[in-house]
Amino acid sequence: MKLLLLLSLLLPIFGAVLLLLFQGATRQRTARWIALGTAVATLLVSLALLNEYRPLVGAMMPDNSPVQPRFEIRYPWLEFDASDSQETRSVSLEMHLGLDGISVSLIVLTALLTVSAVLISFESIKHRESEFYAALLALEAGLIGVFCAFDLILFYAFFELTLIPLFLIIAIWGGAQRQQAATKFFLYTLAGSVITLIGVVALVVLAVRAGLPHPCSIPDISAWLQRQPLDPQTQVMLFCLLSAGFLVKVPVVPFHTWLPLAHVEAPTAGSVLLAGVLLKLGTYGFLRIAIPFFPYACTAYGVPIIGALSVVGIIYGSFCALAQQDIKKLVAYSSVAHLGYCMLGLFALNVEGMTGGVLQMINHGLSTGALFLIVGMIYDRYHTRQLTELGGLAQRLPLIAVGLVFISMASIGLPGLNGFVGEFLSLAGMFQRDWVYAALGATGVILAAWYMLTMIQHGLFGPLKEPDTHGEVIRDMGLREIFALAPLAFLCLWLGVLPEKAISLIRPDIAAIARIYETAPVNSLAKSVPTTASDRELAGAIVPMGEPRAEVYESFR
Amino acid sequence: MPDDLQHLLIWAIPLAPLLSALITALIGPKLLREQSHLPCWLALAVSTVCSAILAFWVMPGNFEGPDPAESVALGYDWLSVGSFRVPIELHADAIAAIMLVMVNTVSLLVAFFACGYMHGDKGYARFFAAVSLFVFSMNMLVLSGNFLQLFVFWEAVGLCSYLLIGFWYKKPTAAAAAKKAFVVNRIGDFGLIMGMLLIWVSFGSIGFDDVLYDHQKLASMDPGRITLICLLLFLGAMGKSAQFPLHVWLPDAMEGPTPVSALIHAATMVTAGVYLTARCLPLFSLSENAQLVVTGVGAITALIAAITALTQFDLKRVLAYSTVSQLGFLFMALGAGVGAGDEGETHAATAAMFHLFTHAYFKALLFLAAGSVMHAMGDVIDMRRFGGLRKSLPITHWTFLIGAATLAGVPLLSGFWSKDEIFVTLSHASHHESYGTFYAIVFWAAVGTATLTAFYTFRAYFMTFWGEERFPEEAGHHPHEATPVMAWPLRVLAICAAAVGIVLGPTHLFGHYLQHSRGFEEVAAPSLNWGMMALSTLITGAGIGLAWLFYVKSPAIPGKLSTALRPLHALSSNKFYFDEIYGALVVLPLWGLAKLSAAIDFSVIDKIVDRVGDIPHVINGITRRTQHGLIPGYALMMFGGAVFGLLIAMGLFD
Repeated sequence: MKLLLLLSLLLPIFGAVLLLLFQGATRQRTARWIALGTAVATLLVSLALLNEYRPLVGAMMPDNSPVQPRFEIRYPWLEFDASDSQETRSVSLEMHLGLDGISVSLIVLTALLTVSAVLISFESIKHRESEFYAALLALEAGLIGVFCAFDLILFYAFFELTLIPLFLIIAIWGGAQRQQAATKFFLYTLAGSVITLIGVVALVVLAVRAGLPHPCSIPDISAWLQRQPLDPQTQVMLFCLLSAGFLVKVPVVPFHTWLPLAHVEAPTAGSVLLAGVLLKLGTYGFLRIAIPFFPYACTAYGVPIIGALSVVGIIYGSFCALAQQDIKKLVAYSSVAHLGYCMLGLFALNVEGMTGGVLQMINHGLSTGALFLIVGMIYDRYHTRQLTELGGLAQRLPLIAVGLVFISMASIGLPGLNGFVGEFLSLAGMFQRDWVYAALGATGVILAAWYMLTMIQHGLFGPLKEPDTHGEVIRDMGLREIFALAPLAFLCLWLGVLPEKAISLIRPDIAAIARIYETAPVNSLAKSVPTTASDRELAGAIVPMGEPRAEVYESFR
Repeated sequence: MPDDLQHLLIWAIPLAPLLSALITALIGPKLLREQSHLPCWLALAVSTVCSAILAFWVMPGNFEGPDPAESVALGYDWLSVGSFRVPIELHADAIAAIMLVMVNTVSLLVAFFACGYMHGDKGYARFFAAVSLFVFSMNMLVLSGNFLQLFVFWEAVGLCSYLLIGFWYKKPTAAAAAKKAFVVNRIGDFGLIMGMLLIWVSFGSIGFDDVLYDHQKLASMDPGRITLICLLLFLGAMGKSAQFPLHVWLPDAMEGPTPVSALIHAATMVTAGVYLTARCLPLFSLSENAQLVVTGVGAITALIAAITALTQFDLKRVLAYSTVSQLGFLFMALGAGVGAGDEGETHAATAAMFHLFTHAYFKALLFLAAGSVMHAMGDVIDMRRFGGLRKSLPITHWTFLIGAATLAGVPLLSGFWSKDEIFVTLSHASHHESYGTFYAIVFWAAVGTATLTAFYTFRAYFMTFWGEERFPEEAGHHPHEATPVMAWPLRVLAICAAAVGIVLGPTHLFGHYLQHSRGFEEVAAPSLNWGMMALSTLITGAGIGLAWLFYVKSPAIPGKLSTALRPLHALSSNKFYFDEIYGALVVLPLWGLAKLSAAIDFSVIDKIVDRVGDIPHVINGITRRTQHGLIPGYALMMFGGAVFGLLIAMGLFD
């Protein structure tokens, strides 16, 4: 099991190294098959992981920590003595890998999307193939690394590591404005993460002072903060610092402007992984670090501020999507809206909402990944993505049209397909926490239908309109493309019909985090006496330092 | 019947069409081709037979004990998160059985008809796959035992509606209509989602058992809360059942193939809103305000749609507005039980469900007959371009006439009985002490609507089948009457439309049966109200007579009248300008907002980001000046630095 975990991380690295080593020696065509082989092998390993993984239930769960990885691989890689004015302690940084339900499902998602990304690149990447696939596999390794890292520093390292391959993918194999897009993407997200790094360091210093033997271990920190929450001011400060990088990565409006640009310029494979997995690093960061560590900051500031930004993201993102003529940009803005739901769910801070948020992470990965695949297929054929130049494609490309309608429905959140469950649970969770945000966020279901169906109406329906293809024969979806798309489409249906499969995987992990917030204040209609205003007022009050958690909430109730 | 067998039977009702949908979708286009209707026929036959058996099974006598009960076929846990438990399972009780019988019989007949109507279409297999999927979803919707399952299939029928309205997707109008239907419905769905969430936080559950049938819990609820829940649910119903102001999608939905209009947009899916409201009777009966809203919206819708139907020339649009109007009638009835206690509410809901039932048959009949006309006329549906068809299309003529007479409310036919019950309910409500005036107005609106209904129905009939025989060029030289596969469904539906009312209505069979549903009270059947029947006969006669006068006797009158009443005529023929108003007040501003958002994103937010990105440049612009390469300057700096260091060393800043 531990071997499998290690293997899922090392396989793509191995593949990438192999590709780089033999880039001169092999024919370019071989590169894609090596990449495909590696990606498929990684997928199989991740599926084996999923198969082996058993969620912790009931009595097996230690009660003290909101983060409980399993199949841990821990060994120290740096031991030193930390001293402050009073005393000197021996602390160690570790190589700490592990798995929980959330990470195992995201690892499978990553591995699956990488296979699709490799497959879709066969025809569209025409130069420096070895390097391209090496970058893709390196990206995969980085992403998997983030999901199985349970050491703060390691987490951060992987978090940053993903930037480099994607930067290269956009900057070398991207569209016309690729340099600008790649630079903006890199600098913007890096600027955010640097602030996160300050937060990480500050937190580690506090952990060292508190006498934690492993001050970087996420489970240890979360157990410590569970026993002994930080005082409110510190919580708020650290929450703000740590959130910076995550907010940009998600992206939460107004920190999202790098996203449409990066998507438009990135090659299809890059977009698939960017939207499918990379954005989830932000939401995953919130779920793994910010939410379990800083209960006061999350309830007092996270819910109102991030709740409001998420709602703005949903509505504003949808409106921006509505105005786009470029299909890829439209899908990019729809991601902003979808991630809004995800954040809304996570910051509901209850079981329903956080489950919805995690499902939304997976679902958005599947449906938006698939949407980018289809947009890529259309672009490969017509070399344009403008709705003004395309129309009635259902007549020419019936299979692609069926795929696009199907995936769009998943993206709109049609019940029975995956998108609905995540969206609905997110809204349900938020409705309990603060119904106003949920009500505003729910308007997104109308807008989503509007922009997606407008795209379908103009792109697929109506009379056929296509740009001059210079005698090139336009073929419908080929076998390779079907292999890239079909697994995602199938999962969209599967998770819509049997969402319980995914939910049971993550249930204990979510429950462990949600337990922290059981006594947090709510602005729910469930209460008989409406106390909206006073609730908020009290939630904003500064709580005296060092009080135990339950009493903290009691005091501002 | 043993339980296992019974559960199998209940599951067969939705699953047979699902299987057919899968088979047709997978092997239809390549293998079945022109035979693609076979799986659909077979599946719908199975569903119809099973629903008929089920209808007998849930008869009152088959349950022990005094309580009306239901039969539950277990499925699986779809969602189970925190306090949110949503099983997919089937709950069959009397009201569900009634809906199932109606849905499946109409679907089966429409599927037969469609075999002839859609013959030779490129999307033949696609059509039957979507119809099968629709019937599956509709059956699941009706059999739901909780709000979320209902919502899932509520959306699924919406999807099928979308796919079938846009069936001829090459037509830009069809593509636009499909989108419009989906988006407008989503506005209603927003209400339904909010209503569901509110139910969940209020009741701690979204199962019908806990919400609708737990009297203690219901009684302990805050009335304001109940009203809010009802209104939110009703918003959902307004979308699906095309009620003012969300009715605009239904007339446009006529872009779909006619069998679809008959099945989805007349008989079944659009009644889902009525079904939901009737199902939630225990909730609505606790809120007088919600009932007033339901009735008011119904009345406005009925009247507006009937007035619009007066001047339409597209035969299918006339029928579409008629559907909207009749759905308004149903809601009028649903909200009319106010103040009369449980008995009154049950009467009201019974009246609505009965009219829903009869309406399904005669409206499906009318649409299919209109489809038959369209088929013969080479897809022309404008009534100004043909006429006098009664000789060349005898079967179509007779069946259309029966349908029209039933809709108009000619005595003894189905529509007469069911509409009469609605009148009785409304007139009862008009004696209410505080809301009497409101219901009296609604009653007269209903009477007016019924008169208009008789008029516009027969206007369409006379324009199509009477007068000088004329065919459009598209029809060719000799229009062909419906083939047997199309004619027989028409005949069967005609018999149903004519006879269902008299068999189930005056005998109170329907009422007794329905009142064994959960949430309904057993009430004494009202005696026949002869005065109301006389009134209803009178207005029907007046409407038909006027239509005859205008369109057969002296065809010059309509022209004169329309010039005399120009503003009213313009209002009616332009559909009260709803599309224009929405275009100007909703769509356009939102598009503007979208463009504005995109512009802000590009030139404000992103530019701010760029400016922030420029900060290092600015700083380096300042610091760069110091690196000018002139030795004296560096020497000066060295000196300054040395002095500064010295001062620190001397402790000057301590």
